Amino acid sequence: MSVENLKAYIESGVLELYVLGDLSPEEALQVEEIASQYPEVRDEIAAIEQAMEQYAMQNAVEPSADVETKLFEKLGIRDEDELGTISTTPIYSDSEEPKIVRLDSSDGKIRTLRFALVACVALLIISTAALFITYNKLNDAHDQIASLNLDKQKFAGVVSQLEYENKGLDNMVAMADSKEWVTIRMAGQAFSPNAKMNVYWNKKDKSVIINYVAMDLPKTDAEHEYQLWALVNGKPVSLGVFGKSDSTTNEALQKMQAIQEAQAFAVTIEPKGGSINPTMEKLTVMGGV
Amino acid sequence: MTALKKLTLTEPELVLALQSKDPAVLKTLYSMYSSALYGVISRIISHTELAEDVLQETFVKIWQSAAHYDHTKGRLFTWMMNIARNLSIDKLRSKDFKNSLKNQDIENNVSFVDEQNKVTFNPDVLGVKQLVENLKPDLQAVLNLVYYKGYTHVEAAEKLDLPLGTVKTRIRLAIIELRRSFN
Repeated sequence: MSVENLKAYIESGVLELYVLGDLSPEEALQVEEIASQYPEVRDEIAAIEQAMEQYAMQNAVEPSADVETKLFEKLGIRDEDELGTISTTPIYSDSEEPKIVRLDSSDGKIRTLRFALVACVALLIISTAALFITYNKLNDAHDQIASLNLDKQKFAGVVSQLEYENKGLDNMVAMADSKEWVTIRMAGQAFSPNAKMNVYWNKKDKSVIINYVAMDLPKTDAEHEYQLWALVNGKPVSLGVFGKSDSTTNEALQKMQAIQEAQAFAVTIEPKGGSINPTMEKLTVMGGV
Repeated sequence: MTALKKLTLTEPELVLALQSKDPAVLKTLYSMYSSALYGVISRIISHTELAEDVLQETFVKIWQSAAHYDHTKGRLFTWMMNIARNLSIDKLRSKDFKNSLKNQDIENNVSFVDEQNKVTFNPDVLGVKQLVENLKPDLQAVLNLVYYKGYTHVEAAEKLDLPLGTVKTRIRLAIIELRRSFN
């Protein structure tokens, strides 16, 4: 561009429009290009800018104070004092601090959880131990109950035995007091010298009763039992069979067959069900009336 | 820090702080230029509330688009002033503005009219006004339209029924008058 052209360009008023922002982007770009090449243009633009700036400064109008307040509120910028304090401290410390706090609090949470876990494990161990001890005690208790039960059964047996014997003894006493009853004492024979037994015979109705309490006979096996005989005029008459002397039937007394008359009574050991004739080798006791 | 707390800074300092998004610089910038920019805005938009809205929008835009400012292309104030002028002209042509003119309450009308015609005497400005008034009427008409009414030179040419070149020349002559008066 020649000097004259340059002068004409400056005087065209395009630079004023450029400063006023009244050019299209293409035109503005062109002005900037020329300005970068020609200091005269650059100086002219600077002079126009300065003039416009001074003009604006001298035509300044103070806006109301709340515009500023609203503006900084809108931009989220705080008061100058606060800005000062923030700027004097390094920016990173401001953003780092909450991070530290957050890490701390999560650390604390983990520590708390760890304590809780330890407490849980301890509680579990204690509970298991307590359960084990309780289980053992329960077993002991079961054993004790079982042994007590056994004792109880034993005592119950003893009691029933005693009752049974007591009944028998009561009967014996009653029979001894009564004038109707005759007690025949049978003594041990060659087969069993130590055996003895009583037979009670009612003179009035001729009934015969034996008392399990008042007998001591040799033991029999499962296939044999005792048979009571009456000797009537030298002949044995069966009065029935009875069980073991130690049998625990409820009744101490057992009614045998009645007999009108007899000179003696005897007991033999016979096969189960009894025999028609007594087995003399197994005559255990005998006694005369 | 102490430099930023001062209410005036040199332009390179301002630009550097503004482009590094230092919040403190916006305070400084506001205290330095808000009234000058409001002067520009309020001459284009006479409605006080709307003009103040535009002033706020102007500073928001300055803050948000600071990175786009290129100091090789011109002064910071020219850039800011053009933001203010463009936002003002946009507002003037927006529905918002037209509605606000239509919807004036009759009750508030007296104070509104008062507001519109408020005359403030700024001793600094008195000389300038006089100076502008002392411009030749044809220069004054062009400057009024372009500077005070936000007209483009093309619109001003249409309005005044003048060739574009003439409008451009008159703008230039008016500004040269201003330059002379300031020097």
